[in-house]
Amino acid sequence: MTYFRATDPFPLESADHTKLHEFYTRLAAGRLATTRCAGCRRLAWPPRAFCGECGADRFDWVDLSGEGTVHAFTVQETGLPAGFQGPRVFAIVKIDGLRVFSILVDADPAKVAIGSAVRLSPLRVADDPGGSARWLPAFRLA
Amino acid sequence: MRKVALVGAGVSRFGVRKASYRDLIWEAGKACFDSVPAVKPKDVEGLVVGSVMPERTAFQSHISSLAAEALGIRPSALSARTEHMCASGTVGIRYAYAFIAAGLADLVMVLGVEKLNQPAGEEAILNMGTGVDREWEASFGLTAPPCFALAAQRHMAQYGTTEEQLARIGVKNHTHASKNPNAHFQKGATLAQVLGSRMISSPLRLFMCSPITDGAAAVLIASEDRARSLTDKPVWIRGTAQALDGFQLTSLHEDYAHWPALARAAQSAYRMAGVTARDVNVAEVHDCFAIAELIAYEELGFCGKGEGGPFAAQGRSDYGGDVVVNPRGGLIGCGHPLGATGVAQAAEVYAQLRGEAGARQAPDAAIGLTHNNSGMGEHVVMIYGRDAG
Repeated sequence: MTYFRATDPFPLESADHTKLHEFYTRLAAGRLATTRCAGCRRLAWPPRAFCGECGADRFDWVDLSGEGTVHAFTVQETGLPAGFQGPRVFAIVKIDGLRVFSILVDADPAKVAIGSAVRLSPLRVADDPGGSARWLPAFRLA
Repeated sequence: MRKVALVGAGVSRFGVRKASYRDLIWEAGKACFDSVPAVKPKDVEGLVVGSVMPERTAFQSHISSLAAEALGIRPSALSARTEHMCASGTVGIRYAYAFIAAGLADLVMVLGVEKLNQPAGEEAILNMGTGVDREWEASFGLTAPPCFALAAQRHMAQYGTTEEQLARIGVKNHTHASKNPNAHFQKGATLAQVLGSRMISSPLRLFMCSPITDGAAAVLIASEDRARSLTDKPVWIRGTAQALDGFQLTSLHEDYAHWPALARAAQSAYRMAGVTARDVNVAEVHDCFAIAELIAYEELGFCGKGEGGPFAAQGRSDYGGDVVVNPRGGLIGCGHPLGATGVAQAAEVYAQLRGEAGARQAPDAAIGLTHNNSGMGEHVVMIYGRDAG
């Protein structure tokens, strides 16, 4: 046995594990979605099952455009956690007026700039312990 | 509220330590008790322990009781652990302050401890990912360096801040650490070394970053009457404040070089202490990365917004300047054993305001400040005074 057992770094995305499972279902189909509060109609990012503004716990799912621009970014070369490799482009993406934290996959760091156009590129990561596929909302240069 | 003061302080050696979690508690506790011989463990009524991730690094919970037993403390008024990521130590000091000010205790130890280094280095970095949001941030491999790199990129674009100005902070803090026998790094650093060190997350290079460090620190905090009976030179807690902008990166101010929560915490603490930024002689600020110290100059009011780069380059945050910042070497030079950092900052200000900091002494230090943060949007500021105020 190895000395340490890394904890699972990815969220449990299925309906058995999270109220936000619809986000991941849509993501697997190539759609970026978030929640709109059924009480005060506030659009949230990331999606949430309780509204910190009005206190409601009812919400509707809304598809976002999937296309945005780079608001800020950095390239991490070294010092990444176990299981992750550099160089890795972390970015804040502006999309439909929201700020979304993500990574840019398959991006040449020299070609990334503030204002670069990006589009959703769902990233499949390790299956969950039950064998279900899992996805993260990653982006790539458009 | 009653007046409250530090009456003792001690720090373990910081570094990649051949020591267990409990060894570090023993070292800091011993150093703290040695600093005030009139206090024995049985005299201490309360213990607060700042520690972030012993569940991961030592497979251990139930921390305050473990530490109390290790040190022979039998809490009768307060026993608690504080976890607030990198600010856990100072958050613990605030708990002790509040209990004593309210009359619920007269003598409390606050101890911070972390054993971050593991046999496998990549595990230590993996563990640091517990400090950001697992579902929306850490799942992408995010840890602290890219967060602060975003702030640095923005500051450079908006204010013309240069890599060399950031590097000056690395040089200063490594140089200060060379005069601190407890610091992780002892060799100092030149500008060429800092600028030539490897890139971690653009534009932050290795010598502009705090390392993964093991260590512990402890302070003893007392009510006014108890303080005066224990020492001729108590160091008074004059102001304390905490403010938060948000937890996730996307909840913070859209301009990542602008940290309004730090400005709010500073103004609250100054107001409570009856001082201004100009009165601060010595400051221990949270330089987890060089950009954090640079932005702290601005938000704490040591210089105007956007002027942090020149402020560093002109030596205004060093001996002979406006305010001596991070005389012990900061997080960059001493290392950053999370829960221990805020307590070690307080221990340095304790030594400085008593005139006992030796080669690191800031001249005639009467007002000291500590700034401890957990991410870019959560800040704690303490003001200490040589006089009770």
